Amino acid sequence: MEKMGFGNVTSTSKTMKIIDTEKKISVLIVEDDLLIQKIHKVMMTKFGTEVQLATNGKEAVDLFLSGASFDLVLTDLEMPIMDGIEATKQLRSMGVTSMIVGVTSRNQDSEIQAFMNAGLNACYVKPLNAEKVTVVLNELKNI
Amino acid sequence: MDVGQLQRQFIDYTASLFREMKKEWRGFLDDQFTQLRKLQDENNPDFVFEVVSLFFVDSEKLVNNMAKALEQSTVEFKQVDAHVHQFKGSSSSIGAHRVKNVCAAFRSFCEQQNIDGSAGGSIPMVE
Repeated sequence: MEKMGFGNVTSTSKTMKIIDTEKKISVLIVEDDLLIQKIHKVMMTKFGTEVQLATNGKEAVDLFLSGASFDLVLTDLEMPIMDGIEATKQLRSMGVTSMIVGVTSRNQDSEIQAFMNAGLNACYVKPLNAEKVTVVLNELKNI
Repeated sequence: MDVGQLQRQFIDYTASLFREMKKEWRGFLDDQFTQLRKLQDENNPDFVFEVVSLFFVDSEKLVNNMAKALEQSTVEFKQVDAHVHQFKGSSSSIGAHRVKNVCAAFRSFCEQQNIDGSAGGSIPMVE
């Protein structure tokens, strides 16, 4: 399965915050692999977004706990300390309504469904590319 | 030959070298690499070099880790699988689709070995 699209939102993520279209979209990239971090950061910056990095799920949760907020969270699944599923569950239970999109190397339906069930808005199989980013950002701008 | 001619020859030579390299790469690198090349600009002038260098460093580390795991008297295929999974992720992100495909095949092998609990059978060749 390549992706699960924006039709499959969970009840916890139906309410989206209103995005100020005049300021840059803020993105949190949650990824432990330095190579993929670099690629995703440059790609998202090229699309005009403001990017911050977290190297695992716990760092991402801690950022939100410290009062940070982001329009979009792009999260890997497998990371040390706290994986993407646990981080997504925690963020949703904290009341985070940001768009959370999974980006994973896993491509089995059951694995992607488990990730989606944690509270994702969508899930893509790596690699992230211009086409996928365009779809995500268009969805973000349309809500 | 004046400096201007030398400069022009150098430019022509590097252009033809790049064309030849592109022909070679096409077999090994897919459209994802083309996308990465488009990300290089004045804000990230060395992006492609940095990404390729990171990939080589990552790959060397992962292949060494896989080799160590496979040398154990009792092979932990889950551990090998974890390394291969990471290698698959980074190779697909850079566009090294042949490496990615070998990783996918290798992962199936590791899953089967873990289920069987035996170290029999042949391991797919990784170039």
